[in-house]
Formats: sequence, C-alpha cells, structure tokens
Amino acid sequence: MPAILETRNLRKEFGGLVAVADVSLTIERGAMHSIIGPNGAGKTTFFNLLSGKYAPTQGTVFYNGNDITHVPFHQRAHLGIGRSFQITNIFPNLTVLENIRLAAQALSSVNFRFWRSVTAYPEFTRRALEVVELVGLRDAAHYPASVLPHGGKRKLELGILLAPNPEVLLLDEPTAGMASEQVPELIATIDTIRKEGGRTIVMVEHNMSVVMGISDRITVMNLGSLLAEGTPAEIAANETVQRVYLGELYGSADELVHK
Amino acid sequence: MQSWRQFLKENWFFLAVFVVLVLFPHLVGWLTESSPFGVLRGDRYIMRGESTLWQAILIESFALSVLVMSYNLMFGFTGVISFGHAMFFGLGGYIVGMLLEFPEFAGIDPALRLFIGLLLTIVICGVIGLGIGFASLRLRGVYFAIFTLAVAEMVWIYFSRFDRTNGEDGLTISQMPAWIDPSQNRLALYYVSFVIFVLTFIFIRRLVNSPTGAVFKAIRENEDRAQAIGYHTLRFKLMAITIAGMFAGIAGIIHAILQKSARPEFLNVKFTVDSLLMTIIGGVGTFTGPVIGSTGLYLLDNQLRDQVVTIGSTTIDIGDSWNLILGFIFVIVVLIFPYGVVGTYQRWRAGRKNKS
Repeated sequence: MPAILETRNLRKEFGGLVAVADVSLTIERGAMHSIIGPNGAGKTTFFNLLSGKYAPTQGTVFYNGNDITHVPFHQRAHLGIGRSFQITNIFPNLTVLENIRLAAQALSSVNFRFWRSVTAYPEFTRRALEVVELVGLRDAAHYPASVLPHGGKRKLELGILLAPNPEVLLLDEPTAGMASEQVPELIATIDTIRKEGGRTIVMVEHNMSVVMGISDRITVMNLGSLLAEGTPAEIAANETVQRVYLGELYGSADELVHK
Repeated sequence: MQSWRQFLKENWFFLAVFVVLVLFPHLVGWLTESSPFGVLRGDRYIMRGESTLWQAILIESFALSVLVMSYNLMFGFTGVISFGHAMFFGLGGYIVGMLLEFPEFAGIDPALRLFIGLLLTIVICGVIGLGIGFASLRLRGVYFAIFTLAVAEMVWIYFSRFDRTNGEDGLTISQMPAWIDPSQNRLALYYVSFVIFVLTFIFIRRLVNSPTGAVFKAIRENEDRAQAIGYHTLRFKLMAITIAGMFAGIAGIIHAILQKSARPEFLNVKFTVDSLLMTIIGGVGTFTGPVIGSTGLYLLDNQLRDQVVTIGSTTIDIGDSWNLILGFIFVIVVLIFPYGVVGTYQRWRAGRKNKS
C-alpha cells in the first residue's frame, strides 16, 4: 500500500531538549496506526509536527508525496488532515450541533459571506446532523457543549474532526480521562468512522488494550526516537519493547501489587 | 404571509422600540407641552424645552450605543480585548472637526465636507484597525490589549499637543451646516443619529448571525480549535477589529457634532473603559446588552450627576462622588446579573423553557 504520510529524519528541539530525535516513519493509506510510548516519549510533540502545530527543527513531512513541512496549521486541515487534542478542546458555549456545523463550514468558501444568515446554507447543517448521528450525540444536539459529560465531549471532539470529511485523522489520546467502561463504546465509534470513509487513522494512545485490539500497525517511541514498529503481535513479542515500555509500566505495577 | 408572521413574532420587541424612538421627540413634546423643534425666536429656533433636551440625551445615547455595540462585536463576539477603542471614537470627531474648521477646506460645501468626513473616518479607522491588527493580533489576550492602549495613548497625546486643533482645549466646531447643527436643528441630528444607530444594530446582528459571525464566536470560544479545523483565525480577528474601528469612528462623529467640538478627552481611555463596563453590564455577546448598558449608564449619569442628596446632617454631592457610585452600581450589577442584564435574562428564560 502507498504511504499517505511520511516523515524523514524529523527532529524537534526545545532549547537543549531533544523532544523528537530524527524520526522516519511511514504511514500507509487506510491503516489504523497507533503510536505508543511512556510519558515524555515525544508522542504528542511528534503529533504536533504532523499536524503543523509546531515547525520541526529539522526534517521533512510528506503527505501524499508532497512536502508539507512548512504548510501552516490551519492549511493542513484544508489538505484533509484533521486532528483531535489530548485535552478536550471544543467550543464550550456553542451547541453540539453548532460545534460540528462550524467544522463542516470551515473548508468551504462561505466563511467571509457576512451578509447572509447561516440558515441560508443548509448543506452544513445537514452534514452536521449526519455527524451528530454517527458519533451518537443526536439527543444532545441542541445542548451547549459545556454540559456534556466527559465521554460526550470526547465524542464531540471526534465529531468536529469528522465533519469536514478528512482523509487522515490524527487522534491524540482519544480515551484520555474516560471511565474505563466508556472506552469500548468510543473505540467502536472510532472503528465506525474508519470504515465509513476508508480513512487513515493515526492515534497516540496510553491505553494498551485499546491499541492492541484495533491497530493494524503500532509504533513504539521512547525518549524521542523510534523503538520498534510492527503489527500488534510483533510488538507484543518484541523483547526491547517489553523491557522498556511494557515491562516498566506493567512489571513495576505488578511487583507493587504482589509485595 | 407566514414569513411575515414569523418576522413579527421574532422582532416585535425591536419594532416596538423602533416606533417609540421614531415618535419620541413628538411624544415628549406632547407630554410636556414643548415643541420638538425648540422655541422660535425671530427667524430661527432656539433649543429650549424638554423635548429638545431629551433629544440631546438620546443622540448621545445613540452615539454611545454605536460605540459600545462595536466594542461588543470585538470583545463580546470575537473575544478580542482592546484598550484602544477610544482612539477610533476620538478620531472620527477630529476628522470631521478638522474638515469643517480648517481654512484650507473652506471652499468645499459644508454638507459635502461632512460626507467626506464620514467616508474618511470609515477609511482611516479601517486602515488603522487593520494596521494595529497586523502589527499585534498575533499577540494574544492582555498583550494585544496593552499594545492597543499604547497606540491609543500616543494618538491622545499627539492631539493634546497639536497646535492646529488648539491642543488640550480642543477644536470648537463653529462651521456646522445649519441643517444638522444641534443648536439650530436638533431634530434633524436626532433622526440622522437614530438612522445610524438602527443601521449599526442591523448590520452587527446580520454579521454575527452569518457564517462569518459563527467563526467569530468559534474564535472567542477556542481559538486553537478554530485553527485546527481549518480557519485562518487572524483574518477573522482582523475583520472584527477593522469593522469595530469603523463603527467607533462613526459614533465619534455623532458625538463630536452633538458636542460641537473635538477634544482630546474623546480620545481618552475613559471611553474605552466605559465601553467595556457598559458591555459587561448590558451583557457580553448579546445584541441588546450594549444598547441597554450604554443607555442605562448614560441616563443614570445624566440624571444623577447634578443631584445633591441630604441624609440627616450629611450632604452628598453625587456629581463629586460619581465614580464611586458607578463602582457600586457595577459591583451590584455584576453580583445580581453575572452575565450582564440581558445575558442573565436570556439564560433565565432559556432555563424556564427547558423546564416546561
């Protein structure tokens, strides 16, 4: 399968700290690609480089074979790359529908039509209603986003992302802070989204069980560089990964419990 | 037919206010038995009587309302806090004042000069707004506010020292075209400023309810997210500050014509702070809030300032301690109406609707 996103020797330094150290990674079209790693591994920084929130210190990002390293943040959305945030990031005082409608409108040419009412453009409302349905928020469509429970906000986050119909979704810890019994529902939603549009999803995740269950490929990061890459089975069998990441995380916790 | 009914149902309140304001000078005249045109002395009218007095109060309220509505467009709907809004307000007055007073423009018909003044104000305030935006909108929140304050103070100091407009004394406008002169034909100025007020209200309402306005609100709510979904937020913020600057300039023209002068105080940060307070008291991000906030505070100021209250042996001159009283009003309003008068009312109504 051809690569949809590719990074070559991507590097980001903050002062003396190297947050991402020369990462070269290929993401295949249509894949569900997860990036895992312990805290401080540089996952979110890497994500910010992919979405254009930060400019890299060195290296290149390719999207469909084109160099997009210097394409600004808001322009990447127009190319078809949507991203979500680890911290819930919505428009709190607007309704759920309006949140999504805004995202649907973003890539059109009506944004500077200031003399006509928004109701003169029903296509965006229609798309917003579709998406509200897809992420399972239909009953809450007319409530202000701020009153949604946390799980609902995470779904809204997905909805905002989905509204403009992007090719690539960058999900930054979509299950962050969710109660564990809500996680399977969200994962199911992500899976639906992926199948609906044949989309590519790149996901940073902390929750191991989530990643193992639905990913096609997994990349493990540690201290800013790539540690391993492969299918979930390969990653689970990889000794270095077990030692550095799984071992650290689960091994030490196990020891604490058993002592 | 159906759409007309719908329109009436949604806008009956505004239509009622509109009709009352159109009739207002005549209503007051009828109630107080004074002529809305003033008192005829020889071949000209003198502005005496309750009706003309109230016209002046409302003209000032219209000017302040336009100023505060423009501030609200920026602060309440787009989330950009500027401390330099008085600069646009004062500049509008100075541009018209200089056009009317400076001898080099004496050859042009005064009415035409007024019209040129309006166009120039819109262009200059727009260009300055755009320039300030370009230079500083990349700064966020308080840094942008400080930058606008600095620019506005520079303009204020410049006009305080500018010889040709008499420095701190300001420019007295004596060459006013008679048809709009508030000391000869106040009723005309009343209707002109009323039309400007209505057009501003409609324009801002349409703008905020348009796709562009939706983006303004998105920026206010969460600028990072608006960028992430693909909006070039800087452009929209530039648009908001430019439009707000233009309307503030127009408000300044009305103010200067009514005062028949352009003085450095008009450029002073006081007008910015007043706009901010009036927006907050009326209701941030509402349409009627700025109008109610500005008119309410101005009327209080106007009616209370000259009163002297005697309680027992202490006599309080309200004019002397006006700022103290204003402070109290502000604290009380913020406590009772945390979202401003209109904002709190709307939430209360929405809450009742949801329950029933």
